[in-house]
Amino acid sequence: MTITYVLMQNLKRNPLRSMLTAAAFALPMAVFVAAISLVVVLVKVAAHNEQELRLGVRQKTSLTNLLPEGMRRKIEALDPDRRHLRAVCGMRWFGGRVPDTQNTLTSLAADADTFPVVYSDVGMTPEDAAKWSADRTACVVGTGPAELYGWKAGDRVTLESTVPPYLALEFRIVKIMTNTERSNVFYFRRDYLEESYQAMGFASSRCNIFWVKCSTAEGLRTMQTQIDQAFANSPEETKSEDENAFAASFMQAGGDIPGLMRTMAIVVVCIIALVAGNTMMMSFRERIRELAVFKAIGFQSGRIFTIVLAESAILALIGSLAGVLPTAALLTLIPLRGLRMGPISTVEVSPVAVVVSIVIALMVGLAAGVWPAYQAMRLRSVDALRKIA
Amino acid sequence: MALPLSYHWRHLFVRKTTTLLTVLVIAAVVGVFTWMMGFAAALDNSLSQARDEGKILVLKRGATAETNSAIPVDEYNKLTQLADVARDPTTNDPLISPEMMVQVSRPRVRDHGKTWGNIALRGVTPMAFKVHSNVKYTGPEFPSGAQEVIVGMSAHKQFDGLTIDDTVDLGYGGNRSFRVVGYFTADGGPAESEVWGYLPSLMNAYNRTMYSAASLRLKEGADPSSVIEQIEGPAIQLTAQTEAEYWKSQSSSINTYLLIMKVLVVVMCLAAVFSIANTMFSMVAGRTREIAMLRTIGFSKRQILAGFVIESVCLSLLGGAVGCLACVGWLQLVGKTKDMFGATTFTTLAFEIRMTPMTVAWALVSVVVVGVIGAWVPAMRASRVGVVAALREA
Repeated sequence: MTITYVLMQNLKRNPLRSMLTAAAFALPMAVFVAAISLVVVLVKVAAHNEQELRLGVRQKTSLTNLLPEGMRRKIEALDPDRRHLRAVCGMRWFGGRVPDTQNTLTSLAADADTFPVVYSDVGMTPEDAAKWSADRTACVVGTGPAELYGWKAGDRVTLESTVPPYLALEFRIVKIMTNTERSNVFYFRRDYLEESYQAMGFASSRCNIFWVKCSTAEGLRTMQTQIDQAFANSPEETKSEDENAFAASFMQAGGDIPGLMRTMAIVVVCIIALVAGNTMMMSFRERIRELAVFKAIGFQSGRIFTIVLAESAILALIGSLAGVLPTAALLTLIPLRGLRMGPISTVEVSPVAVVVSIVIALMVGLAAGVWPAYQAMRLRSVDALRKIA
Repeated sequence: MALPLSYHWRHLFVRKTTTLLTVLVIAAVVGVFTWMMGFAAALDNSLSQARDEGKILVLKRGATAETNSAIPVDEYNKLTQLADVARDPTTNDPLISPEMMVQVSRPRVRDHGKTWGNIALRGVTPMAFKVHSNVKYTGPEFPSGAQEVIVGMSAHKQFDGLTIDDTVDLGYGGNRSFRVVGYFTADGGPAESEVWGYLPSLMNAYNRTMYSAASLRLKEGADPSSVIEQIEGPAIQLTAQTEAEYWKSQSSSINTYLLIMKVLVVVMCLAAVFSIANTMFSMVAGRTREIAMLRTIGFSKRQILAGFVIESVCLSLLGGAVGCLACVGWLQLVGKTKDMFGATTFTTLAFEIRMTPMTVAWALVSVVVVGVIGAWVPAMRASRVGVVAALREA
């Protein structure tokens, strides 16, 4: 008689309970895997952004207070030997929307010459870069808007700005950016914007933010203090922060979805632990005599411990699979598209999230089984056999 | 005669561990549920203060929010020709408030300044207090000319450096220091998350020659749509909406967030149902003989059914109470302040998650429903126990 056989028999003994436990396990796990998928994406994005070593320099009072474009040269001049700094890209908010729609796209005009360097992670091929520098109306778009509006490379698209002077501009898409970090963004050339502004008599030449690409992490910290010091007490006082700190402020204003998901994940783990613990206590109590018989006929304590623990773990495994796999399948078949939660445009269940969820469920199952298993191990057969369950 | 309540209550403590674990599962679900209800209620409460049907917001054509609107003064002046605008009873001036809106970035108190929020800074004239009738300011005289601002109560509580006598660096170059001289309230509405200053001083500080937007109050009983039509018509050529419509369009992103929360909570409630069912099945199984005996001495099937449902409801209410307390504790310890962007305003709406009697009532009603559903099938089984067979069993 193998342990596996005993385990399967035990689970089948009270199929109703096994099913209810599995269901009570599966539902929170379905939430868990979705929450973890989001957290995994955000962790990846944060890790990626950290490696990209970009420093955002904005006006201290508000991002919406514009800085003069000449500041780029001043920032570049702070590090003439290019020990820390690689390139600076000025950006201006355009806030365009597709005509006759409501959603404002995160659309920004970027310095044409340095954009491919500062945003090397966009992965422009030499041909893309050539098109970007040759065509004034060039733009690159993230997968979010591209999927939402059915755009592809080579298309001509029009955006209407929602900021004064509410300019409408036509662009040609050079590339669809496939990296997650840029999935909800639309970049185009700032010289095109400035020329269009001048053509309508709207003098400007200003930027909302300068992204400074640095060569090392220490270099980034050095530049951060140097830049803020250099402009302190000037009319253009700045606040510099790395990309993750910059994004964090927006995440908070978006209701802190990552924080919400983390809290949900913790609550789910607590719930499944309690559910598994409850079931194991109940089956243990009902089976005290049986376990005592096992002991009486010579099963060693260690073996008894394993039997109870393994039952808990198998239940957790079944429950988590029942929750995780359908959710993963559902979200793969029908992905939630068109979301605008920071960099996230699509909720897809990643393999990492599936593995993490199942491992955590297994661990919870094991932890929940430890106490009943320990009690089973310490069982005194004589007492237990005498007891009427 | 029905089974006494104490019979059910005391049964819950026969199997302490099982009861405790089930109560904790329910408590966890109810905790999340009440938090979400409190969140939704706080937002709703804030936005409901911005549904003044007598107030119309005028923006430049093409703008989506006050922050990205710009109205030249001569275009603004055309608004004075509108009919149906309410007038001040003493001066007979039309109640139209020219306003400028920019943003100021301040550190959040709740994470000790790790992240910053964008706060709306509104330049107004004394007329604004007549148009925005829910704004109440009781401090020293509203600044006119001096470099001073007044701060909404929520903005004061949630962001650093907005306390009376603090100075805030404002202006296009961020080099004009304005002193905070007082706080104002707006019945918890969105305006409470704003900072207000004197329009000419702020226009000067931001080198502006245009207003951002205008708000106007309608005459009693006037039809908002006819006024909006006039504003959008050929004579004025601006765009307008009632305050309610404006905030409805701004809350679309908030609604997505609430939808996500609701899906999560429903799924978790279902898990609680299964968990209760599991516990109740085990209770029924453990008490088959007892049930048979109760049936023998004359209790009806219906009474047995009701008995188990009552037991489950007691269990759920216990969990519900623990959950509500846990939620209160969480709000106290971890924090109850929250702020969210409107869909296109780019400025934040600060509010406090509060446990109101309504949220608690909702949580408890839902938990009773969960308890009844969870207990139904086990209780049905209990009521159908075969009396003779059960009594014969060892």
